[in-house]
Amino acid sequence: MSDSSLIQNVDLFLDDKPAVFALRQKALNILNKTGFPSPKNESWKYENLSPLLNHNFLVSTDEHICGHDCCGHSSSFSPYIEIKFCHGKLHIEEYNTPQGITITSLPLALYEGEHKQYIFNSFNMEQHPFAALNGRYLEQGLCIQIDKNTRLKTPLHIKYNQNNCDNLQLNIHNLIIAEKNTNIDIIEEFTSNTSESYFINIVNEFYLKQDARVTHYKIQKENLAAYHIALNAVKVQNNATYKQYYLANGAKFSRNENLINLEQQEAQAEIYSAYTAKKNCLTDITTNINHKQPHTYSNQYAKAVLEDNAVAVFQGKIHILPNAVKTSGNQLHKALYLNDNASLNCKPELEIYADDVKCSHGASCGEIDKEQLFYLTSRGIGKQEAIQLLTSAHLNEIIALIPNEQIKDLFIS
Amino acid sequence: MSEPLLEIKNLYASVGDKEIIKNLNLTINKGEVHAIMGPNGAGKSSLSYILSGKDGYNVTNGSIMFKGEDLLALSTEERARNGLFLSMQYPTEIPGVAVSNFLKQSLNSILRFRGKQELDTIAFMKLLKQEASTLNINPEMLKRFVNVGFSGGEKKRFETLQMALLKPDFCILDEIDSGLDIDALKTVSEGVNSLRNNQNAFLVITHYQRLLEHIVPDVIHIFADGHIIKTGDKTLASELEKCGYTDFIKEDSQCQTLL
Repeated sequence: MSDSSLIQNVDLFLDDKPAVFALRQKALNILNKTGFPSPKNESWKYENLSPLLNHNFLVSTDEHICGHDCCGHSSSFSPYIEIKFCHGKLHIEEYNTPQGITITSLPLALYEGEHKQYIFNSFNMEQHPFAALNGRYLEQGLCIQIDKNTRLKTPLHIKYNQNNCDNLQLNIHNLIIAEKNTNIDIIEEFTSNTSESYFINIVNEFYLKQDARVTHYKIQKENLAAYHIALNAVKVQNNATYKQYYLANGAKFSRNENLINLEQQEAQAEIYSAYTAKKNCLTDITTNINHKQPHTYSNQYAKAVLEDNAVAVFQGKIHILPNAVKTSGNQLHKALYLNDNASLNCKPELEIYADDVKCSHGASCGEIDKEQLFYLTSRGIGKQEAIQLLTSAHLNEIIALIPNEQIKDLFIS
Repeated sequence: MSEPLLEIKNLYASVGDKEIIKNLNLTINKGEVHAIMGPNGAGKSSLSYILSGKDGYNVTNGSIMFKGEDLLALSTEERARNGLFLSMQYPTEIPGVAVSNFLKQSLNSILRFRGKQELDTIAFMKLLKQEASTLNINPEMLKRFVNVGFSGGEKKRFETLQMALLKPDFCILDEIDSGLDIDALKTVSEGVNSLRNNQNAFLVITHYQRLLEHIVPDVIHIFADGHIIKTGDKTLASELEKCGYTDFIKEDSQCQTLL
């Protein structure tokens, strides 16, 4: 039995529907059995969770949707299909969705039963206690279904606007089902409209059927008191490609965990991360890629700028199963230190049970290049501005990889 | 009466424990072009770094006045804003920093310091394209990262472009001829010559007489062992070309007595 104040006894929307209630109960039972991770757990060895577990972040049950005008209406000028969560609750307004995509509020999708096979099916809850916590409070989230042969030109922009959520925990769970031969860009953007502490705990389950292409952009600009834990669990089938571009700048504690299962041949995953960690923040990127079949491909590339007393954690596991020959798995992490107090824990884990595979891993760290700094300042650019230019340049290498120019601009701003 | 722009007096400087400048005296007036020639390791490039305030180059004695102010009291960026420019022998590559962004920040830092209106992106790009075409610079180059993948000639043209944009009062050209073919040497020299006026000055550092046929100096200094051993007019370069540095530096060489 876990005694964290994160577990509370509350009634949620649709608790009266057995299909929904049973899922919540199942998650709670697992969480009670496993408890929260401790540093003894290999995957959590670098973090101290006690401030989070003892903070007493409450679950808000005042409302199950946000009907206020608190974060304004979607701009009709937005080039994206915009969906908003305000203080963790789905913001209700008319959404104009193009043909071939269906977006439903998650608990309703589960209650109606159609998508029940997908929930909690992309990961093992016993190995992900925070996802189990998320399951206990399963109420907020989206079920995004992209119909066969739909190639969406307009990206979907999910905005998580954290306002009026001081000392709350926000659990959000999304299911993304990309049917055969589909294409979609999904942007997740996290912002804080408060300087107070809150805890956002998000689980995304991605299902990519044959020939599907999902590009997942995640922009995280949260305040330096916030806690952010995310699990992106992805199942990739034949010749499908999941790509993630992650930009993080902020949150006191932030963990972006990717669990990728390359289920069938020619399945691919690429994870690109650019992050800045400063003050006393901890930023963790943990990726676990399972190559289950031959001819699968994965690539992880992360670049970091570390300042002040920040701590960064980069854990990248590549697991190649015995029959997964002719696979390729690569990972690389490059860090730029702005002072001596910041620290980086870089842990590559390669478990290779097949012959005839190509795998690589690497890590480098360095300081601001003095020659580059001299060149810039000798042209009249102030030292601080020059350092800013050079740190952005370090991260730019990742941002330059973004194929969509409009989204690239969103990352730069 | 000529007005001094730069005055170096009894200068001693070192890198680490090594003394690299020993009792250097040099005055450059407005409107003048001075050349410094000398063998490898004489301290010519070090002098250019000392003037621009690079970390690691320590002045141990003497003074440098620029426009009547103590240059040594200023940081590298303050010297640049005050009108000092160093065209580097090996311009540094900066991956991830776009040429146009770099130039705009640089120009605006200088304009801001001089109390002038900063340029917005549109006005800046217009000016940049105009200056680039004067120097035969391919507009594609402006979309790249600073000095990354530039040929030797492109790097020096880019240095010249910066001079044209920033309009410094005093330019140090550290081996601007190295890595240039004849055509590029001509373009760069023409670029430099077009910037010459009676209010600014140039210090041209080179090994070879060839450059000085294109950028004709008023004064030539021979530099060896951390200071100037000989000063003369432009004919000094051709004398030097005949004898070579080794002979020239020897006290009793024939070359010396000829002069």
